[in-house]
Amino acid sequence: MSAAAHLPALTVVVPLFFAYLMPLLARWRKSWCAATTLAVLAFTFFSSLYLANRVMSSGPFVYHMGGWAPPWGIEFYVDYLAVFTALTISGIGLPVIVYGIKDLPHELKEGVLGWYYTLYLLLMASMLGMALTNDLFNLFVFVEICAIASCAIISIKESRECVEAAFKYLVLSAVGSGCLLLAIALIYMVTGHLNFTFLAATLPGVMAVYPKNILAALALLMVGLGVKAALFPLHVWLPDAHSSAPSPSSAVLSGLVIKIYAVAMIKLLYKVFPATFAGMAPVMAMLLWMSTLAIIIGSMFAIVQEDIKKMLAYSSIAQIGYVFLGVGLASHNALLGGILHIFNHAMMKAMLFLAAGAFIYATGVRKLSQLKGIGVTMPVPAGAFAIGAMAMVGIPVTNGFWSKWYLALGALDAGKPLFAAVVLVSSLLNGIYYLPIIVNAFFSKPEGAVAKPGRLPAVMTGTLVVLGAGCIIFGIFPSLVLGLVSRATRLLLGL
Amino acid sequence: MEVKTSFLPVWVVMFPMLMTFVIYYVEQHSEKMRNALSVATAVVTFLSVVALYPEIVAGNIIEYRMFQLLPNLEISFRVDILSFSLAVLSSFVWMLVAVYSVDYMCKEHGCNRYYPVLIITLASCMGIFMAGDLFTLFVFFEAMSLISYVLVVHEETVDALKAGYKYLIMTIIGGLALFFGIIITFEVAGTVSLSGPTLFGEPTALGFFAFISFLIGFGMKAGMFPLHVWLPDAHPVAPSPASALLSGIMLKTGAYGLLRVIFHVFGIELMRESGWTLILAVIAVITILLGSAVAITQEDLKRRLAYSSIGQMGYILLGMAILTERALIGNIFHIFSHAFMKSTLFLAAGAIILKTGKRNIKDLGGIGRQMPFTMFAFTLAALAMIGIPPFNGFLSKWTLALGAMDAGVPFYVIILLVSSLLNGLYYLPIIIAAFFGAEHGHEHEPIKVNEAPYKMLIPIAILAVSCLLFGLLPTNLPFDLSRVAADFLLRGGF
Repeated sequence: MSAAAHLPALTVVVPLFFAYLMPLLARWRKSWCAATTLAVLAFTFFSSLYLANRVMSSGPFVYHMGGWAPPWGIEFYVDYLAVFTALTISGIGLPVIVYGIKDLPHELKEGVLGWYYTLYLLLMASMLGMALTNDLFNLFVFVEICAIASCAIISIKESRECVEAAFKYLVLSAVGSGCLLLAIALIYMVTGHLNFTFLAATLPGVMAVYPKNILAALALLMVGLGVKAALFPLHVWLPDAHSSAPSPSSAVLSGLVIKIYAVAMIKLLYKVFPATFAGMAPVMAMLLWMSTLAIIIGSMFAIVQEDIKKMLAYSSIAQIGYVFLGVGLASHNALLGGILHIFNHAMMKAMLFLAAGAFIYATGVRKLSQLKGIGVTMPVPAGAFAIGAMAMVGIPVTNGFWSKWYLALGALDAGKPLFAAVVLVSSLLNGIYYLPIIVNAFFSKPEGAVAKPGRLPAVMTGTLVVLGAGCIIFGIFPSLVLGLVSRATRLLLGL
Repeated sequence: MEVKTSFLPVWVVMFPMLMTFVIYYVEQHSEKMRNALSVATAVVTFLSVVALYPEIVAGNIIEYRMFQLLPNLEISFRVDILSFSLAVLSSFVWMLVAVYSVDYMCKEHGCNRYYPVLIITLASCMGIFMAGDLFTLFVFFEAMSLISYVLVVHEETVDALKAGYKYLIMTIIGGLALFFGIIITFEVAGTVSLSGPTLFGEPTALGFFAFISFLIGFGMKAGMFPLHVWLPDAHPVAPSPASALLSGIMLKTGAYGLLRVIFHVFGIELMRESGWTLILAVIAVITILLGSAVAITQEDLKRRLAYSSIGQMGYILLGMAILTERALIGNIFHIFSHAFMKSTLFLAAGAIILKTGKRNIKDLGGIGRQMPFTMFAFTLAALAMIGIPPFNGFLSKWTLALGAMDAGVPFYVIILLVSSLLNGLYYLPIIIAAFFGAEHGHEHEPIKVNEAPYKMLIPIAILAVSCLLFGLLPTNLPFDLSRVAADFLLRGGF
């Protein structure tokens, strides 16, 4: 077999391998760390692109780890959703770390820089693994890697609030992992399988015999993944964690990490459980209401925030609600909108966090009220922030518009216009907290530190420009991603 | 009548859009070039719109499909007689305002922001009028609304920012309502194109939601009660040329949107049988009376003009609510009339503010002797507002009243009369004081004539004379356009 055939495994293994190499490299050739990380991420991006191309042309395929077929071996299932997620992860992860090359030495202590790259690659590898895997226990392993890496990447700044936030996250995330493990045990106990495909085949039969077992497992899965995805009301750890982390970490955590759990939940709900739980538990209705609350309450909390990164973190809680809203509505357009929003939100939230990071880098100011006039002195980051904010509100010709479009359309398809209204109300709330920032940024006199910002490295500015352009390009040509997303949705819904 | 494909509508929209970047580039080097280019862009845009005239007057419709975003969702342009009427009106007023701006803005700060925004708003405005489907219309509508925020807060004072914030939030609400309406339409009809038959077949609950959403979205822009709250704050704080555009032209995009919704999305039969026009009628009557009544209590000249705009937009809404042929003619003609009158008034107010710094009506005594030319133009437009023959305001009210009689509702005629009376109550004192009063404390001093520069006076003069001419001339181009447009809409609009 050629190397290309092993790409599904390599996409995960290569970053994993280099993650462990990184501390060594940091001792030996410090300057190589960043370049190596970039190369690895570029590799994952291009291999995801290759996989996407292959899936689009010849359909989904499976890959068996080490040639061992399930039920013994681990199986990767490369389908539309998997490659879409992999592309999102590597496509956003790459610019974020490019930005980080300049930002991280500024935020972190000298000695831990090498470790940061380790953690970053671990995080990437585990997320890519979660996207591709077709095995429940393998999923759990990646979830654990991801959780530990996320905790470490928050606490790496070693400030008091970071450690506190990371500890909070660690505890809650451990509870989530415990729930997941229990759920897996319960499922394995009654079915004897861990592979998604086998589970989907055996669960309907088992359901009749052990309904309570399965329902308990389902509940535990929902809670476990819900905590990690910060689905309201399990979100309490998120605002502290995401706002105190270094900016590239925040961008990845808010943009990608919480989404990957949503992807895991989509996989489980649509591929493993669909036939069995219908009628037994109103899972979708629960998801709908939880996401509605997330959307409304997350936005409301965001309105009252004073700290720019905290506001963005609360906004993430609302935005993850959009994804779950799409999942809960379960109509083609809605699910499409939800999945699309994974990508769109990853792009805009990463950009917003990086823009906020740029403000902090150059001025040291985090308070929204002190960021007046920042658009005059730092036009590029403030411009990127403005584009991101417009995308959040869902102004046409930004990518956020299309998520809203499909979600609202999907809500109407499902015969629930109320939830279309929820999407709109939340856009209004987004407007209420994002627009004053832009207005103050561009139409006020800069004062204090904002008036004389430090120079922003070209790499950081460039990243913001690229992401900003991305928001616009995917807003004008939504069909670039929609082909993939629409096929993913069709496959999931069995259309 | 046939449908033709032409690139011209795209050109009309794209040209000012591209010129915005050119202007942005040029203004880094030369202010003179910037001003000249801005004016030239507005003139070329106007001429390009005029170039559509032969096709339109032959009864043809011009279409151009730009590109497809998604299945059944595209950026397309379509110019019929109604689009043309409004586009030609807007680009004409825009051109005059651009000329006026050159001298008015020369002492202002932030001109490098003002001109590009002025031109790109023109582009989006043209986009609204020439949109071939609701989605394109929505995109340009949002663009215009959001970008004109920069015009509203131009002064950057606390008041301006506060008014701007209100404006922004209302714009977002309006945009979302519009989005909701469009998405329901798309869901029900599978398309949002304005070139086919009407999109809704029968009055369903969902259709009603859509109607209300459209009403909120476009009505917000048109200053409809109770969504008018942003207007009296936002219009006065903007620089006067921008106020003239905001009040004279941009309000009309809301009215235009509603016309499209009534005739293309729902269709006139559905509107009549569902009785939804009654909602519009009630709102229109309240808007008329409220706008006119509150205008009386305003002390600030520009604020009074802004409230007057609300009242006048009520007439336009009323025309849509009555929906007889003559009411519709009156409705469309009043779009023309009000654009001419209100732009004259705001530009004249701007000239006064520039020369004397006076905004308060109490201080305007004797201003007519100091600035006779400006105040004469103001008087013409104000008389037109009141609806005194032979001004254009009279003609539109007359036609509207006839339309109301056709519909058998003399009540509306009474409303029109009452509102005219109210208009008289708040416009005449200004004029009387201006010409026959004297400045407080300076009763015996001789007043020197001190007019604004001629580049400001000429646009004012052209607009003021238009108010007279388009009520007087036997071949009245706006009136003819309105008549053909009303006929076209009533025949189904495609």
